[in-house]
Amino acid sequence: MAGRNLSDSASSDAVADYLAAVTAKLAVPAAARVAITDELRDGLLEALEAHQGRGCAQAQATAAAIAEFGDPATVAAAFGPELGAVQARRVALGLLVTGPLVGLTWIAAVAVNALPPWRHQLIGPWLALPLVGVALALAGPALALTVATTGRLSRFVHRATLPLTAATVAALAAVVADLTLLGIITGYALTNSESYVWAPVVFAAGASLTRVTVAGRAARRCLAIRAALT
Amino acid sequence: MRAEVLKGHLDGLLLATLAEGPRHGYAIKEALRTGSGGRFDLPTGTVYPALHRLERAGLIHGSWSTVNGRRRRSYALTAAGRRTLSDERSSWREFSAAVTALLGERPWPAAT
Repeated sequence: MAGRNLSDSASSDAVADYLAAVTAKLAVPAAARVAITDELRDGLLEALEAHQGRGCAQAQATAAAIAEFGDPATVAAAFGPELGAVQARRVALGLLVTGPLVGLTWIAAVAVNALPPWRHQLIGPWLALPLVGVALALAGPALALTVATTGRLSRFVHRATLPLTAATVAALAAVVADLTLLGIITGYALTNSESYVWAPVVFAAGASLTRVTVAGRAARRCLAIRAALT
Repeated sequence: MRAEVLKGHLDGLLLATLAEGPRHGYAIKEALRTGSGGRFDLPTGTVYPALHRLERAGLIHGSWSTVNGRRRRSYALTAAGRRTLSDERSSWREFSAAVTALLGERPWPAAT
C-alpha cells in the first residue's frame, strides 16, 4: 500500500484537519510549522497505509491512524518543551551574536567623540554606566546556562522552563543595558554643548533601539511559552 | 503503556530502535511497539518531539528525503548517539541484574 495517495477527500480532509489542529497550538515560526506538519503528515499517512494493509477501508484506516497519533492537544503539548528549548536557544544565540556588535558600536561612539568614559571619567549621566556592567554580568551566566541546557546537556535538564527563564533573564538584561546606554547618551547630549561626530552615536543608538525591540519581543515570547508549560 | 511510565528510559529505547539503521518517525514508533510485544504503544504524535530533542542533543541526525511524493524525515544515530546507547545498555544490564537479584524468586541468603 505504500505510496498510495489519499483518494477519499473525506480522509484527506480529516488528515488536514488533524494536522491543522495540532500545529495551530504550536507557537513556532512558519518554516518550523511547515517542517513539523510535513513530518507528521508522512507519519499519519504511513499509519493509515499500515491500517489499510491490515484490511481496513480508507475511512476506517484514517480514523484509526488519527486515533493512534493521539489527540491534538496531547501532541501539541508534547512539542511544548522542545519548542521552548528551541526558542530559548535562538534567543541566546541571537544575543551572543549581537551583543559584541552592539558593544563595539558604543565603544566606537565613545572613542570617536572622546566621551567621558574614554577619558576615564564617570560624570553626569555616565554615573549610570555601572548599571550596564551589572546587566552584562547577569546576561553572561544566563546566556551560558541557556546554551548549555539547550544543547548536548539538554538530556539531563528535566525542568523545561529553565532555559526559557534563563533566556528571558538574558534578554531583559540586554534591554536594561541598551536603555541605560540610550538614556546616558541622550542625557549627556542634552546637557553638554560639545560638538559631536554624530554618525557613530546615531549608529550605536540605532543598534540599541533595534535590540531593545527585538530582545523585548523575544523575552515576552519566552515568558508566554514558559507560562504555557507551567 | 504511557510515556510517563517510560520516563528515564525513553531516550535509550528510541536510540536502540536506530541501532540497525535509519528510520522515520512512524517506523521508530512501530519498532518500539513491536519490539516490546505491544507494551510500549505510545501516541505516535508524541514520539516526534522526543526525536527532535534527541537531535538537538546531538544523539541522532535527521535528514529530509522525498518518498512517494511526500517529504519524509529520517533519523540516524550519530557517533555520540552510539556511545550514549552503549552506556545506556551497560547501565541497564547492571540495573536489571541488581533488580532481578532482589526481586527474582530465589531464596534469600539466611541472616547470620
